[in-house]
Amino acid sequence: MMARRIVLALLTTTLLATPPGAQSASVVQPGTSPLVVFRIVFMTGAAFDPPGKEGLASLTAAMLAEGGSRSMTYQQIVDAMYPIATAVNWQVDKEMTVFTGTTHIENLDKYYGLLRDMVLDPGFRQEDFTRLRDDALNFLKISLRESNDEELGKEYLYDVIYAGHPYGHHNRGTVGSLQQLTLEDVRAFYRTHYTRVNLVLGLGGGYPKGFEQNVERDFEKLPAGTSDKRRFDAPKLAAGNRIAIVTRDTRSTAISLGFPIDVTRASPDWAALAVATSYFGQHRSSNGYLYGRLREARGLNYGDYAYIEYFPRGMFQFTPDPNLARQQQIFQIWIRPVEVDTGVFTLRAALYEYDKLVHTGLSREAFEATRQFLTKYSNVLTQTQSARLGYALDSRYYGIGDYNTYLREALPKLTVEDVNRAIQRHLTTDRMQIVIVTKDPRPFQDAVAKNTPSPIVYNSPKGKEIMDEDALIQRYRINVKPAEVTVVPVERVFE
Amino acid sequence: MSVRRLLIVAAILLLAVAGFYRSWAAGAVASGKLFPYAYSIDDLPNGLRLVTVPTDYPNMVALYTVVRAGSRDEVEAGKSGYAHLFEHLMFRGSENYTPEQRDALLKRAGADSNASTNQDRTTYYVVFSKEDLEDVLKAEADRFQRLKYTEPAYKTESLAVLGEYNKNSSAPTQRLDEALYETAFTRHTYAHTTMGYLKDVQDMPNQYAYSLDFYKRFYRPEYVTVVIVGDVTRDRALELTTKYFGGWARGNYVPSIPAEPPQTEARTAHVDWPSPTLPWLAVAFKGPAYSDEVKDKAALDLLSEIAFGRNSDLYRRLVLEQQRVDQLNVDFGNHPDPELFTAFARIKKQEDVEDVREQVLETFARFTREQVDQSKLDATRSRMRYGFALRMNSSPAIAAALAPYILLRRTPDTIDKLFALYQQITSQDIQMTAAKYFTESHRTIVTLDSKTGTK
Repeated sequence: MMARRIVLALLTTTLLATPPGAQSASVVQPGTSPLVVFRIVFMTGAAFDPPGKEGLASLTAAMLAEGGSRSMTYQQIVDAMYPIATAVNWQVDKEMTVFTGTTHIENLDKYYGLLRDMVLDPGFRQEDFTRLRDDALNFLKISLRESNDEELGKEYLYDVIYAGHPYGHHNRGTVGSLQQLTLEDVRAFYRTHYTRVNLVLGLGGGYPKGFEQNVERDFEKLPAGTSDKRRFDAPKLAAGNRIAIVTRDTRSTAISLGFPIDVTRASPDWAALAVATSYFGQHRSSNGYLYGRLREARGLNYGDYAYIEYFPRGMFQFTPDPNLARQQQIFQIWIRPVEVDTGVFTLRAALYEYDKLVHTGLSREAFEATRQFLTKYSNVLTQTQSARLGYALDSRYYGIGDYNTYLREALPKLTVEDVNRAIQRHLTTDRMQIVIVTKDPRPFQDAVAKNTPSPIVYNSPKGKEIMDEDALIQRYRINVKPAEVTVVPVERVFE
Repeated sequence: MSVRRLLIVAAILLLAVAGFYRSWAAGAVASGKLFPYAYSIDDLPNGLRLVTVPTDYPNMVALYTVVRAGSRDEVEAGKSGYAHLFEHLMFRGSENYTPEQRDALLKRAGADSNASTNQDRTTYYVVFSKEDLEDVLKAEADRFQRLKYTEPAYKTESLAVLGEYNKNSSAPTQRLDEALYETAFTRHTYAHTTMGYLKDVQDMPNQYAYSLDFYKRFYRPEYVTVVIVGDVTRDRALELTTKYFGGWARGNYVPSIPAEPPQTEARTAHVDWPSPTLPWLAVAFKGPAYSDEVKDKAALDLLSEIAFGRNSDLYRRLVLEQQRVDQLNVDFGNHPDPELFTAFARIKKQEDVEDVREQVLETFARFTREQVDQSKLDATRSRMRYGFALRMNSSPAIAAALAPYILLRRTPDTIDKLFALYQQITSQDIQMTAAKYFTESHRTIVTLDSKTGTK
């Protein structure tokens, strides 16, 4: 069967529509660049891990991208890719799995031949399985639990919010489940989910005429399959705010907080909420409001940001990776590590500022400036061919057309009232989940149980405005019942 | 203001847009000039250099400002980390722009703006739409010439630097790096990391006056190269750079970087890490400084891939076959002074550390005795060329690829000279260079392991 295609010509702004959910599809962006970009998406992911086999979707993708094909060992593939400086990268999220790669056009045939066999004819060797399962285990046990408090806190927040939900485990799995997985599990997952109906081929750059049809023909080799498309409901969180304190031997305190929202790029309120979130905490920008209050005015830490979409690895990159599209998202505030003795004050300050956002919303000036920022900033987000292709694939998922066009059309129609209404509709919550990574939980427990003040001492004089505000913040009530503060030793996280 | 024009390359600019790309595509990576973009270099009389690289990526402009000040320049005891601190202070306002005004300008422009510091340089960047070029350049010029921050603002910002130290501190590799460099270097300022010693970072709030001196020393036109890449013309870039940076007074400070005496004995160090980790091993040898003329650095660049890269014999053995190591990396950056050639391994089991150490050492030793295969050498040259070409996929990416070379030689020309030098390296060159540098007396080995054992 010839796949149906969506053609997004370079620099055009219209996505020629193919309805989402059609049989295997392509998103192509032909151009004149000497680089050719692949994004091969399967509409499946960690939300489809069978119970007890968490991490299977990721391990399957790793087996394809970092393991051998039937005709070549992984070492032979690495050797073949070495002189052309290419690789196949993989990313698994809840509902999307993507294999990405870029090659110079001079090496297109060679690279594509390797990529094709890796994805369509995997070798599934035991030695690759052993190595890649070890990698997943060490990622959870060492790289995440013991080497990066920020990512640990941010990822654990998702575990807390989605407990009991198909999203409720880390994409790489759990330590316990990974130890149970077998190579046969990987084969079975591949057979069931790597199907034509789940496939969307993404291709961009200066590939020759007819190339995309060849790729489509090759991928018809996959079984037709049945679609993984299913509805994921909002997580069922009991009312009440909660704190989970992850304890480990660390010199600082990392804080992440958030709650589910029923807004995605497909929602009418997405643009309005994107404006509110960018205003409050644009990723890695000194322009965010919260950054201004916590870092710029007070020097509490390195940065403070807010999100309405999943954005892993944010400490390593300035723009998000595409192809993390989800039906369910959370509003999240990321407080970068603070000194231990200012931990409680900083949590209070974040809650105080968040409540202020909810109660007062954006001023007209802040709204106008943020709207203008986002209109132009979409060019930064989509500056590479790979990013443009990734955003087009996500637009297909959400059914919104070209991302930049979508924003350019939606933003001018917004008013400050729309934004503030969206804040009222989506950001008032009695289900705030707070994750803290720190050595000693007691100051937080005391602050919750006794409302113990957390005065702050600065190394330089502050203006009256800050001092007055601090007087409020240091006694600001953390609205969590003492019984809702749990302490989790780090070795139990992702276990 | 008269401007001396060093070099104008115009021929390729005359090509049609699509034709330009195609001309590059047609076999150029395998053989031709690796930096395919036409560029111009203009030197202002005050010593500031402008490098303009028009590209046909539409709308966007990347402005990179490279300052030749890094942790290498921090020569006074107790004053490590100040180049990096300045990366922060430069966002704290200038005479004509408060931080809020600068933020508002960048917000209006939809700009992406940030900075980074390493041993040798501080790089500031702004990525924005072309219509905002003058506004952005004007604001940028103001902070480079007229930075203005109060002592309280300085003290607050120094805490953000401590915050950065804190967020890095949960990674054992930060501590491993600190131990490696303070063991391998005894006099040269490469002994301290760019972040600086924790005690110096904690003392920063008390050093306002010193910070002002640091700014006066290094934030001078002769230390700065402005790189503008994207949807821009050379004339416009030069006009605006001259208008806003032309009045900047040249300085006269030249840091006296202490030379590292020749290392005469093997050194080791060990780090006890307080929480669970897999053990780390770093094996380092003193290597040569960057050069696009002398073969040593280029020969060892090639060897770094051959000996420790993804298809090296060692990787195959340790990572794929024996599966004793899950991360094997090599670090051998380009620096103005001799730095380290380091192989890093993360080992899955404590009991394998000794054996992995022996295998890494034997790999270094092997290439002092044996010549690499010609086919492997050719494949590695090819890999480096394509690797560089694949990086240049947007105007900001081109600017980012250029920035390290701008620091070293202030011209993109060094890239083509370097890659031409790679073409001349023979297997014999590599063996001789390995034998020259990989001697026991030049070696430093650092291990890191958990005090509590791996869980």
